[in-house]
Amino acid sequence: MLLRTEKLTKSFGGLIAVKSVDLKVNQGEILGIIGPNGAGKTTLTNLISGVFYPTEGRIHFEDKDITFVPAHLRARMGIARTFQLVRPLRDFTAFENVVVSCLFARGESLREARKSARKICELVELDQPERRLDRLTVFELKKLEIARALGCQPKLLILDEVMAGLNFEEMQRMIQLVKSLREKQITICVIEHVMSVISQLTDRVVVLDRGEIIAEGPYEKVAHDPKVITAYLGEEA
Amino acid sequence: MKYFMIAIVCVLCFLLPFFVGAYLIHVLTSIMIFLSLALSWDMMLRTGQLSFGIAGFFGLGAYASIIAVDDFSIDPLWSILVAAGFAALIALALGWIVLRLREIYFAITTLALSSVFMIFARNLSDLTGGSAGKVLYESIFKGDSIKIYWLVLSVALTVILVSELFQRTRIRFAINAIRDDEIAAKCSGVNIFKYLLFVFVLTSAIQGAVGALYAQQYAFVEPESTFSANFLLLPMSMALVGGIYSSLGPIIGAVVLGLASEYLKLIMPYGHLIIYGLILVLTIMFLPRGIYGTVVNRIAAKR
Repeated sequence: MLLRTEKLTKSFGGLIAVKSVDLKVNQGEILGIIGPNGAGKTTLTNLISGVFYPTEGRIHFEDKDITFVPAHLRARMGIARTFQLVRPLRDFTAFENVVVSCLFARGESLREARKSARKICELVELDQPERRLDRLTVFELKKLEIARALGCQPKLLILDEVMAGLNFEEMQRMIQLVKSLREKQITICVIEHVMSVISQLTDRVVVLDRGEIIAEGPYEKVAHDPKVITAYLGEEA
Repeated sequence: MKYFMIAIVCVLCFLLPFFVGAYLIHVLTSIMIFLSLALSWDMMLRTGQLSFGIAGFFGLGAYASIIAVDDFSIDPLWSILVAAGFAALIALALGWIVLRLREIYFAITTLALSSVFMIFARNLSDLTGGSAGKVLYESIFKGDSIKIYWLVLSVALTVILVSELFQRTRIRFAINAIRDDEIAAKCSGVNIFKYLLFVFVLTSAIQGAVGALYAQQYAFVEPESTFSANFLLLPMSMALVGGIYSSLGPIIGAVVLGLASEYLKLIMPYGHLIIYGLILVLTIMFLPRGIYGTVVNRIAAKR
């Protein structure tokens, strides 16, 4: 097992965003994390990547307790994530954004980092990476998020809604990209609203609602679970 | 070719005292003092942290150096290193706490630190001479203004070199990333606190060394004038007018504003600061990226 959380809880004042979540991510799988808006998916991502620390519970990564390990060290251990609302570094070119994570997460020299960053840009098919960021399309910004995460040489890659804002054709290309990453032995968590993407990509799905896991299993099974349908559509009148 | 040109300019700077008069040398010495402060302020700003503490560390260095010479009979030249080291140590201890703050909270706290340093200087009378300050028997190099010029020039060139190293190594990637987005930076493996502390300590050491230079040049320290807000406001103005986030911007700003203020002082001894303020306001209104930043943007837009 690559990642395991134990009764993971995060509250913001009175609001409990994540409530006693026991999440397991197996080596090599693509895990889908779904749930209605406000279910706590992004908070869970932030807890795993170390953006903030949990109120209660533990996080284990490769059998090490990383509950209070700072974010930059988690990036170096191989936990990488993308941001739902893209957070590129605006003063850099696209290419330099990728250099940053190669430099600091991999600990490479400037020369090595440039070489690695070039390879990663080719891998995600980010053309003309020397462009300034205001020249990039939404699709390219999403690919840049993935490229920067790949700069961390991740063992676990968390993709927080990388499909949002993409058209059909771009989504197909993104799916191909994610599949190609799995072949590189990267374990992937996909947080997604687009169900067709979840059904095409994932081996297993975890459903969150109001901070709690309400169902898990293969997509076909979970999609027909009455609890899941209720969470998404509400009670039948 | 480029490096050849830079080398020639450096050599010319060193040879300048043989061609121009004492007055201009004095003015240039003062400009380079402020240039070094402006660059050190900008280096911290590149991490996104606005520090108002530079007058404080300047004064700290000034006092450390005068006390080192007066009470510990250290050579004035070495006292500059002592001052840099002392400022660095204090910055390390305080930065450990202060660098957990951000934005205006960081700025105000660093401003308060300057005042606290001054209060210490005024009240530790046995060590600092209290509100009367401390006067040395003679200036560094017995007051030889050409040697002082060379010393200040060497320090200024060192500061420029450090600033350029910031721009050409992995440090640039770290501090720009921190300025742009701390969350994205730390998720990319950047140790934010380490880099902030490193830059804070290094720039404080520069400010301490420059304070020592200034104090040794005039051979005295006194609370009000040594911790004067001028050593904060003038360097900040220079960096803003010249253009922040670069080495060349603060250099241009220091030369332009330095020469302008000297000229204004001659033609209107009372009230030259009003014109000075006007230049600052107009630049911020019409050239928000400063002189150098505007030129760079124009060139980039034409491509």
